Amino acid sequence: MSSLTEQASKHPRLHQLPQTHQLKALMTIIRDAETKRGDFVFYSDRVIRLLVEEGLNYLPVVDKEVTTPMGVPFQGVAFEGRICGVSIMRAGESMEQGLRDVCTSVRIGKVLIQRDERTAQPKLYYSKLPRDISDRWVLLLDPMLATGGSAMKCIEVLLEAGVREDRILFINLICSPEGALTMLEKFSKMQIVTAEIDEGIDARKFILPGLGDFGDRYFGTED
Amino acid sequence: MADGHSRTSTLMLRSAGRPPWYTPDGRNLPAYMVGIAGASASGKTSVARRIVESLDVPWVVIVSMDSFYRKLTPEESRQAFLNNHDFDHPSSYDYGAALTALERLKQGLATQVPQYDFTTHSPSSETQYVYGASVIIFEGIFALYDPKILAMMDVKIFVDTDSDVCLARRIRRDVAERARDPLGVLQQYDRFVKPAYDGFVRPTTNNADIIIPRGLDNEVAIGLMIQHVQRRLDAHHAVLMRPALVSRCRGLDGPGDSLVVLRQTNQVRAIHTILCNRDTPRSDFVFYADRLSRLAIEHGLAQFALEDKTVATPTGRTYRGCAIAPDVTGVTVLRAGGVMEKALHSVARPAHYGKILIVADPASREPRLHYAKLPPGIAQHKVLLMDATIVSGANAMMAIRICLDHGVPEHNIVFIALLATAQGTRAIHAAFPAVKTVVAILDPHVTGDDLLIRSGYGLFGDRYFGTED
Repeated sequence: MSSLTEQASKHPRLHQLPQTHQLKALMTIIRDAETKRGDFVFYSDRVIRLLVEEGLNYLPVVDKEVTTPMGVPFQGVAFEGRICGVSIMRAGESMEQGLRDVCTSVRIGKVLIQRDERTAQPKLYYSKLPRDISDRWVLLLDPMLATGGSAMKCIEVLLEAGVREDRILFINLICSPEGALTMLEKFSKMQIVTAEIDEGIDARKFILPGLGDFGDRYFGTED
Repeated sequence: MADGHSRTSTLMLRSAGRPPWYTPDGRNLPAYMVGIAGASASGKTSVARRIVESLDVPWVVIVSMDSFYRKLTPEESRQAFLNNHDFDHPSSYDYGAALTALERLKQGLATQVPQYDFTTHSPSSETQYVYGASVIIFEGIFALYDPKILAMMDVKIFVDTDSDVCLARRIRRDVAERARDPLGVLQQYDRFVKPAYDGFVRPTTNNADIIIPRGLDNEVAIGLMIQHVQRRLDAHHAVLMRPALVSRCRGLDGPGDSLVVLRQTNQVRAIHTILCNRDTPRSDFVFYADRLSRLAIEHGLAQFALEDKTVATPTGRTYRGCAIAPDVTGVTVLRAGGVMEKALHSVARPAHYGKILIVADPASREPRLHYAKLPPGIAQHKVLLMDATIVSGANAMMAIRICLDHGVPEHNIVFIALLATAQGTRAIHAAFPAVKTVVAILDPHVTGDDLLIRSGYGLFGDRYFGTED
């Protein structure tokens, strides 16, 4: 483990899924260059479900007393706070169904951010967000956090729309330590939920060892 | 040829749910074994059936010696097709194969009983699966012949019917049912059947505990014998499992590392609250039960140690991870455990599925096994056993015992439940320490004389399937 990876894994606002054998097995399948698309989609969806469940755990709950079928009072908790999803197009859309599976009829906004070839900076091309997003918790969806350029641009868009930064949870499958640390430093209240923290990024901004281009492999648009 | 020519040679009879066949510490009680010998056409099968009908035992198997004819040599086989082989000689049977099968049945293990193919005069490639008999009846002309088999028997019966009655029955049966001519039947009787009886079968009366003259007509003798067997069986089933488990585990400490409880995250606690709430509408109950099941299943799968695997990623680098478990079988304890099958189906492929139906006896609330169907090869699989709740642990123990009886090692079993009591998990751990138990919520106690959870989900299956009163 590189020192940067270790540093990232200890960051209090970067939450990794429990590193079980089972998760390793799922990640092995989706990282394997030989994996067929059907398996890639199936096992990615499984990891996404785990990530969404984990992400929701950082939402608040309030105490609630209920009565059990045996007529006994039970001191429990209830969900508190409304949520929405925001996916960064195109790859982030692959995570929407995982969110819908656990939060039926959840509102989902979309943002298209691409690299401006003249400035080499990420540029916002399109955004459509729920009107009352400023009252909501936001699960930001993008499967790969490499440099963090698009995601940081997206967070700026969310903040401009009135979202509280401490209510932003960025959910991804794999992140690079430098991307995650840069992002957490720039935004001091948001949180990241990820399955694994990798070694770094290459010159083409791909995460290493990573899994290649997630959107192409998920949507079947490889060359 | 000995009798049983065209009959099903192994007969499993079930009349009601099977009560626990093991002790509270999870060890199988040996099945009760009855041997019935006697001349060909003496009425052994009828006596066996009368015993089955009269005993108050739900699961009984009648195993015929016909299953254990040995494979003939080519010359013997040629003679057999000419009706020249002596099937009534003691050397016609494979006592080793019989011993193996009967030992397994006696230990309560799932057993493949051989079948004999009378058209080819050789053991069939097909075997018959037998599981769960509390009483085994082994019948055949040489049932009381082999000393090792005799040593396993709890009661040994010789049906001593007059030889002319036997001969008359035999002629009637072979002519009517098997289209033989009477002269041929008589020839065979003189050459093989009678000498074998006088020389080998009749002397085994010395091994019998009870000799029943006149076969089925002797109602007094049969009645006395049935009373004796019933008394012995009643002593077996005197223990009530649920109270025994609860009192046994009352003084014990925590269940040790075989229990894994899901992280009590906000989501898990909030879902638990929704399921506990008697006012939760059914659609929400189903939705959140499914969600909790999925979390529990993922956590259950995470308990299996997996082998290392290194792969190359599309970036040209290597990743050191794990290979996914090759064969996973999900076994649901119906009805409520069936809820979790959907969650397993969503995450594991290809998976095999087994089903076990355990129903509480209405009067005693003791578990009764009604049905078990497990996939072939399960002994080599990783097994996820699923039930919605663990209360006293009695149902879970029965389900685990069934997997063990089918050859699954304890360490390949993970038992998954949504809600469990500490007592129930302790009972499981005390009996089967290598079985991992994964529960979403650990609720501390069973209380009251009915040994139920007060703070739980109520009747989970009824709420999920919408079958409340």
